[in-house]
Parts: sequence; structure tokens; C-alpha cells
Amino acid sequence: MPPPPKTSSGVPPWGVFPTEAPSLLRDLPILIAGFALFYGLLTFARYGIGPVNTQAEIQLNPGALPKYAFFSVTRIAIAYFLSLAFTLVYGYVAAYNAKAERFMIPLLDILQSIPVLSFLPPVMMAMIALFPHSQLGAELGCIVLILTGQVWNMTFSFYSSLKSIPREMHEAAEIYRLSWWQRLWQMELPYAAIGLIWNSIMSVAGAWFFLMACEMFVLGNRDLRLPGLGSYLQTAANAGDTRAIVWGLGVMVAMIVLLDQVVWRPIIAWAEKFKFEQVEAAEPTSSPILDLLRRSKLIPLVARVTVQPAREALGLHFARAAALPRVRPRRGRFMPWVWRVLILAGLVATAYAAVRMGQMLASLSAAEVGGIVRGAGATFLRVEATLVLAGLWTIPVGVFVGMRPRLSAFVQPLAQIAASVPATALFPVVLLMLVRIGGGMGIGSMVLLLLGTQWYILFNVIAGASAIPTDLKEVCGVFRLGNVERWRKLFLPGIFPYLITGFITASGGAWNASIVAEYFHFQGKTLSTVGLGAVISHATDTGNFRVLLAATICMAAMVVTINRLVWRRLYGLASTKFKLEA
Amino acid sequence: MKPPGADKLHDALSQGQWDQAVALLQQLDPAIAADVIMEIPFEEQQVLFRVMPDDFAATLVSHFPYYHSYVLLHTRSIDHLRAIVDKMRPDERLMFFDELPEEAWQRLMDELSGAYSPAAQEGAATELAGAISKPIPAVEPITEAVQVEKSFLQPDGRQIQVIAATDLSLEPNTITALLGPSGSGKSTLLRILTGLIQPTKGIVLWHGKPLHDCAPNLAIVFQSFALFPWLTVLDNVETPLLARGMEHSQRHDRALRALHSVGLQGFESAYPKELSGGMKQRVGIARALALEPEILFMDEPFSALDVLTAENLRGEMMELWLGKKIPTRSIFLVTHNIEEAALLADRILVLGRNPARIRADFRIPLKQPRDRNSAAFLVYVDYIYKLMTQPELEPALPSTTARAMKTPYPMLPHARPGGIAGMIELLNDRGGKDDLYHIADELLWEVNDLLPIIEAATLLDFARTDKGDVEVTDKGREFASADIPTRKVLFREAALAHATLLQQIRNSLACKSDGAMPMEFFRDILDEHFSEEETQRQIDTALNWGRYGEIFSYDSESDKLFLHRLEHTGDSQRDLLHQG
Repeated sequence: MPPPPKTSSGVPPWGVFPTEAPSLLRDLPILIAGFALFYGLLTFARYGIGPVNTQAEIQLNPGALPKYAFFSVTRIAIAYFLSLAFTLVYGYVAAYNAKAERFMIPLLDILQSIPVLSFLPPVMMAMIALFPHSQLGAELGCIVLILTGQVWNMTFSFYSSLKSIPREMHEAAEIYRLSWWQRLWQMELPYAAIGLIWNSIMSVAGAWFFLMACEMFVLGNRDLRLPGLGSYLQTAANAGDTRAIVWGLGVMVAMIVLLDQVVWRPIIAWAEKFKFEQVEAAEPTSSPILDLLRRSKLIPLVARVTVQPAREALGLHFARAAALPRVRPRRGRFMPWVWRVLILAGLVATAYAAVRMGQMLASLSAAEVGGIVRGAGATFLRVEATLVLAGLWTIPVGVFVGMRPRLSAFVQPLAQIAASVPATALFPVVLLMLVRIGGGMGIGSMVLLLLGTQWYILFNVIAGASAIPTDLKEVCGVFRLGNVERWRKLFLPGIFPYLITGFITASGGAWNASIVAEYFHFQGKTLSTVGLGAVISHATDTGNFRVLLAATICMAAMVVTINRLVWRRLYGLASTKFKLEA
Repeated sequence: MKPPGADKLHDALSQGQWDQAVALLQQLDPAIAADVIMEIPFEEQQVLFRVMPDDFAATLVSHFPYYHSYVLLHTRSIDHLRAIVDKMRPDERLMFFDELPEEAWQRLMDELSGAYSPAAQEGAATELAGAISKPIPAVEPITEAVQVEKSFLQPDGRQIQVIAATDLSLEPNTITALLGPSGSGKSTLLRILTGLIQPTKGIVLWHGKPLHDCAPNLAIVFQSFALFPWLTVLDNVETPLLARGMEHSQRHDRALRALHSVGLQGFESAYPKELSGGMKQRVGIARALALEPEILFMDEPFSALDVLTAENLRGEMMELWLGKKIPTRSIFLVTHNIEEAALLADRILVLGRNPARIRADFRIPLKQPRDRNSAAFLVYVDYIYKLMTQPELEPALPSTTARAMKTPYPMLPHARPGGIAGMIELLNDRGGKDDLYHIADELLWEVNDLLPIIEAATLLDFARTDKGDVEVTDKGREFASADIPTRKVLFREAALAHATLLQQIRNSLACKSDGAMPMEFFRDILDEHFSEEETQRQIDTALNWGRYGEIFSYDSESDKLFLHRLEHTGDSQRDLLHQG
């Protein structure tokens, strides 16, 4: 007797539908999102290869905003993926090649301290020279500019993750003869994933911060503007159009929140599995979007026919290639020769550049040097004053919130939304108010720096305060320590490591932000105050490369020096003396 | 240097002419004859020992290591055993008895007096089965290290030798355990044998070819498991198989088989963080076994586990090995646990430190599974404890090569004063004397924790060790019964009398008018003798001792040492506290 068909077991034949239909319904948003993205990219591509139009008229009616928002997001996304590619290559080489490491890491340190706008002239010139006849040149320039603002911290994170992979794990990879490909995907990328993701989020936030400066600027006699949210806001500020400013700001915040929900949260939740911990976390991050993707039937299906076979084939290919006997002698003869020539060429080029730079700097006038020195002093004081101001309100508030878990569960998300609004976008609104009450750029720049940097400190203080062990708090209660004693003996030492981390990030951010804070096109005028950032911005505007170079070197030198002399020492102290051991 | 007639002896043995061999041996000096016998395979030793006359056996017994004599004696019937012991020279017999640990001694006494029933002896005799561990020197080793040496370059350009020139070969069908105190370079030696670290001098051969010229089929089980936390159990086991270019279905089957053999079926899709330590190490073992390695290297595989889990996993490991369910020809186990080595290994290498060198290489011809309470087992455990606590006791084994070395800087054992005091008190409570392995066994302490304390107590002359026993000295007794301030005084006196580093520090500080010196100065001195890590440990220990004994104080912010002046008592100390 043949076995009865499955449908005869009491389940009606259409019984399969109810399980299929919702899955199709669930996959519908994914499909629609896919097509929408495709259409958008087509539009961007058509615009990109179009004729040069660097003076695009920025329309201030809100109907144009979706297009602008899309353009801006696309630029940030492309810049981000380029940053990622750079990060992987640079970090990998620096981590595994001891000789290269010796100059790659200090170089990264210096590059990190150069403000975004200083990259503007060389990047723009190069890109426009490469593609003189299409929009692509200016677009690429803008994208590379965004990249210079977001790539360095990602690279640092990837490099230090690679360096901290446990020794036994490296040994396992070696003894089990994993190919470099398998190492990358099964060991290095997963190990670096969490740090890389958090730094990506910070980088993209930085991109939003500098978007206005990157999309619209004056370069000598050329006035470049590219359609996008940043240029929209800038144009609106120039025209003093409050309604347009508010609309632009609203769309920007909406985009940031949307990106957070649709992109970052699912990625963070997904990356839970890369946590290098030996026990399970108590409360993993959740994301409805990730749940949607995980429940989808379409994605596993697509993955089964595309990703999995490709992964298998590539894995086997590289494994077999690694197992082949290496051809050592040829490499031995060939490589050093090529390397020597390359290194020699690099040295010659560097020496030539150094000489030219020296000549350029030597031709600075006394007035220009004086301006730079005065600016450097002013910006230094401004940055430090901002840090003090930020500390004055964030430390008490942060400790207050951090000591109360229920309050901090409520305050943290709100503060995160507030922090996600780029301070530069708020700047026009702030200036409008300041002008009305009679304040000037001096106060305005401080407000902007404060808006941009206080959050780093606040979040760190909250985290530090909530990490103070309960028994230490109880000790203070038992010995009836007064408020002053409590702060001296427990709170301040307890949050010290976190506070230093917050201050380091805030200090770096403040120096970088000074270029947009001290110099601003507003209501058809240029507002500026004394400062190094203003010197750099002004030099870019007027195409004065000598001053730009000198001021940039000055700023980079100051940032690196302050980091080495102050912050690194304090950080060392924080990680030894003030470390709260469990 | 071969003893005269060795060739003839080997001919006689290979032809099975035992009587002729015995006759040849009888012509030699007993000490040389014993050496010659130690060099031949254990089964042949047994046969020889059984056919030789009792008189001759009695002259030989005292020339073997005592643990070996004990085992050989028990290969003979109880009557012969009695006869042989009876015919031993009285002084040699006394020495032999004296060396035996308590349990073994007790059993031998019972046997000699006839209190030991033959039925029980029947059972005990099966303990010894030469067939289990075949030391077959004729068989070609799988891997062989020839005169390997390792030195590390210090930042200031000095070379610190961590492994002295060492010969070592691993044979098939053997579990070899490498035993040594922590920081002795065991793991470095394992990494040299596996090719993870290049030796500074010498070469490692794999089937006679240089290791780095071939792709040796070996695997390592790591102390920290070294699993990829983001891969499932199954993917973790498949990872090395993919690296060997194995197709998906084949990989899958092999991984499942390996997981099944270690009892992990059902856990394939779990992530390592969901598993307990013991389960994680099972994954580590399955990952290694899936490769079917010729030699399985295990680097302290059970050290990160709790006592019971480790015991359980060891048992299962042995079951697999003895049941030939492991596709592995040989196992190399690095451990600091003496019982573990004695329980599992067919052959034990004991490593000495500073620099590492092989101090002893001997086989344990006890049948598996071993009973850790049996007298024969305890003879071995006792012997290893003796070896490790008495640095001067170089075993009289023909295979050990004594090397002329410069006298090393005396090292401070890494023990805290509190631990030393506790140990002395404990010994005092137990009558002032005990076997080392008893203490370790009862406290569930590993030798790693115990040895530094014993060494420190011996160095300070609070205790002395003698053939595996520790005994409290009069000074130790005084120390144990004193109150806290007196203890500090006694400790200071002992430390300044016996610990070179503390003497040096005290004398240098006393020479200075302000009684202060930068720590860097002493660090530089130590750097000449020790590796960077060891220097740090020496300094940590010295600080601990110096602070406890109130010899000097240390300020970590200025990195300076200050002489602890005796007038700094009471108020002045409180003043210091307030300033800090």
C-alpha cells in the first residue's frame, strides 16, 4: 500500500497558504525598499555624468528637500564605503607589517588632527582636474572631503582591534593553516566588527556635522555648490529664511533618526554575536527591522543561491592556493628590488615636498604669521573654555542621572536624539537668536563648540557614574561622608577614566569644529571672530594657500602636542590609578 | 660512551638468549649493568629481571632509581621479592626503604612480613603491564628536536636564554607529558615543536625533514580554548577542515563525527559562549581530532577548568585514546599538574627553569586506567615531587645530559608572606612534617601554587625539604607561634639573611644618605638575568616581602624605594599616611 499523500492528513490543501502569504507580505517592504534604492542610484548616476553645473541654483521650497536629502545621504554613503575600504587596507598593513607600522600610525595621528576644510583645496583641485567636463569631478571632490572627516577614527579602531586579537587565537589560525581570506572573514573582521560599527556611527555623525561645509564653499574665485541638504541649509542661512532653515533642519533630523532605526540599530543588534565574551550578555540590543529581515524567507533564499556558493567557492579557492608550495626564490629576488625603488621614490617625493613647503612657509608675511599665532591662542583658549563650560554642567548632571538607573534609562535615549542633531545645522538658528539679542560671533562660536562637544562628556559621565559599585556608595553612607567629601573621595575619582575619555573626544572634536564655528556665511554677510579656524576658513575662501598650509600645520601640531602632553598622560593615569577593579 | 660488551649484550637480547645476557651483565660493575638495563625496552627489562638469580637482582636493585626498583621488584612473585630484598646489602636496603613514600613503604612491609594476601597481590600485579607503554627506541620518531635553543632579545640588546640546547623526540603510540613549574618555558617548547616559534638555534625535524619544509599534520588544543565565539560549534570544528580545502559535505561529516566522539552531538548549532568551560574544551578537542593529526599537542588543556570537570574530561580523553577511537598516533601534553602527568602519560619529561632544560625523562610502565591510590602510582608521584622540590636532585638517568652552566642569579620564589605563614602553621598542626603530595592532595592545590611557597619557606629556613617531605624547622615553629609584630621581625631577619635580592636592595638603600633609590636601578640589575616578565615578578615578590617585613617602602608614583627606618614608628607613619 502506498503511503497516503500528505494533504490527506486532515490539513486542507490550501493550508499551506496562511504560512506563505504573511511571509510574502513581510518581504514586500524589503522588495520595495530595494527597488527604491535602485531608482535613486540611477537618478544620482544620471546627474553625476551630466554637464558641469557647480553653481546649481538651490531651491528653498520644501518640495525639493526629498531629492536633496537623498543626494546628501548618497554622498555620505559612498564616502563611508570608500572609508571602509581604506580602513581595511590601511589597518591591515599597519597591524601586520612592523616596518610600515612605524610610520603609518604616527601619520594617521597627524592626518586625524588636520581639520576637514584644510583638505578642501587640494582634493577639489585634483578631482576637478580629473573630470573637467562632468559633474563627477565636483561630486567626487565633495565625497572625498566627507571621507577625510570620517575615515581616521575607523582606521584606528580597526588597527587596534587587529592588534588586540588574543595570541592563542592567532596561533590557532596559524596551526590550522587558515588562508588569509579565511582569517579575514572568520577571525579579523568579526573581532574588529563591534569597534568598527561604533566608530562608523561616530564617523557618519561627523559627516552630517561637516555636511554644510562640504557641499557648499568658495574656493578662491570659484563658488561651488552641490545640490544637497547641507547646501540647502547654508543657502537658507545666507538668505535668512527662517522657514526654510526649520524645514531643512527637520528633514535632516528625520534622516538621522531614520538612518539610526533602519541601518544602525539592526547592525548593532546583529553584531551582538561578535562580542568577544565568554558568557552571554544579560540584555541584548533589539531591533524590529532586524527581526523583520530575520523572519524573511526571501533573504535566506537569495543568500542560498548567491552568497553561500560564492563563499564556499572562494573559501576553497584560497585554501587550496595557500596549500600550494610557495614560490619563494622568485619573490625573494623580485620584491626587494621593487620595494627599494618605491621607497626611494617616496623619499625623493617627500624631500621635494618638504623643500617646497619650506619655501612656501618662508614667504609668509609677518602680518600673516601674527594672525596665525593670535588665532591659535584664541582658539586654544576658546576650546579649553568650552571644555570647562561643558564639564561644569555635564559632570553634576551626569552623576545625578548615572546614579539613578531608572532616570538614566529615561534620559539616555532623549539625550541621544538631542546629540544626533548636528550642531552646525542648528547654528543658523542660534545665530538668528544671538543677533536678535545683540550677541556676536565670539559667543556664537562658543555656543557651537559647546553644542557639538558637550554630549561626549555627558554620555561618558553617565556611564562612569552608573559603573560606580554600590558597596562604595554604601561605604560613604555608613561613614556619613558629607557631600564635598563624597565628591572628592568617590564620585570624581570614580568617573575619572570615563571623564578623560569624554574630554579627549570632545577636545579633538572642538578643534576640528572651530573651522566652522569661527567663520560663517550668514544673511549675505560673513561673520567671523579671531581664531585659527577662522584663519583656515578664510584662507580657503580666498585661495591663500600659504596661510592655509601654515595654519593647518599649526593646528595639527597643537592638537598632536596637546594629545601627547596632556591627554595621553591623563589617560595613562586613568587606566592605572583610577581604574575600578571588579 | 658504551660500556664494554654492550654490543654482545644487544646481540644476545635480540636472539632471545636471556641467560647469556644475564651472564654478560654479571661480569659488569653493578652500577654500569643497571645503566645498561635502563636503556633497553621495559618488557625486556622485565624478562631479564625475572630470569636473573636473586643474588644478582639484589645487587642491582639499589642502582636503579628507587621507583624503578619498586616496579621491577613487583614483576616477580612474592617469594622472590622477599628473597631479593633479604639478600640486599643492609645499608642499601635501608636507603631504598627510606626513599619510598609512606604508602609504598607500608605495602612493601606488609608483603615482606606476609601480611599481604596473595589474592590482593594478584590484583596489584596487573597494575604493571609493560605491554601498555612500549618504549621502543628502535621505532622512528614522528618528530624530533635537535639541539633546539631559544633566546629572546631584550630591548637593550641583551640576549636572555629561555631554553637551553635541548634534544627531544616524540614516538608513535605514546602519551608524552612535559612537566614543569610555571614560567619554565613549557609552552615555548611546545610552540617550537609545532613550528609556531622558530628556535634561535637547532632544528625541528618532522619524519626526518625540517619542519618548515613540510606541512605537518598536527593540531593543538589550547589552554584558553581559542574558539571563535562568533561561529557555532559545528563551524568552529569545520574551520580547519575548510582550510585544508575539504568540500562542504565531507567537512560536515567529519566535523559531526568528531563532535560525536567527544559527546557533543546536539550542540552543533550552539555558540561557544552558551557552553560551560568543559564543553568548550570538548569543542577544542573535537576541532583538533577532526583533522586526524599525527600528533595531538595539548597545552595545559585542563588548567582552565574546575577540578571535577577536568577530572571527567581527562577520563573521557583516556577512554578515547585507549579504545583507539582517536585517529592520532601520539599525544604531547604540557602540564604543571603532577598527578595529571602521572595519570595519563607513558613518558614524562620534567623541565627545569632558567633556562629551561630537560631534567628528567622517564617512562611510567603502569597499566591504564591507573588507580591514583595504588602504591606503585604513588611511588611515581612522590618521585616527581622530589624532583621538582629539590633542584640539586638530578636524576641518575642515563638519558639526562648534564650541562655546565654559569651559576644563575638566585630567584625569589613567587610566594606571599601570608601564604608562607599559612603553610608553616598547617604543617605545624600536622606534626611538623608531611609528604608534599599529601598536602597538595588534601588542599586540592596544584603544584604550581604549592611549590613557590615550599621554596620560599625553605629559602627563609622556616622549613626544609627532604626526599619529598617537608619539615618545619625550629625557626619556622617560632615564626608560626609568634604574634604579628614578632612575625614581621622574624620574617625581616630571615629575608635579609637568605634572600639575595632583598639584601641587595637593603644594602643599596642604606648606602644612600636619603635612603631612597629609584626602582629602575634594581630593574636593570634583574634584567640582566631574567626575561622582562620574570623581572616584573621578581620585583613584585620583593616588594611584597620588603613591605611585609618593613624593610623598605615603595612609592608607585615616583617609582622609588625608601629604606624603612626603625624610628619610623607610630606617629611618624601616620604622618606619612596623611601626606600621601
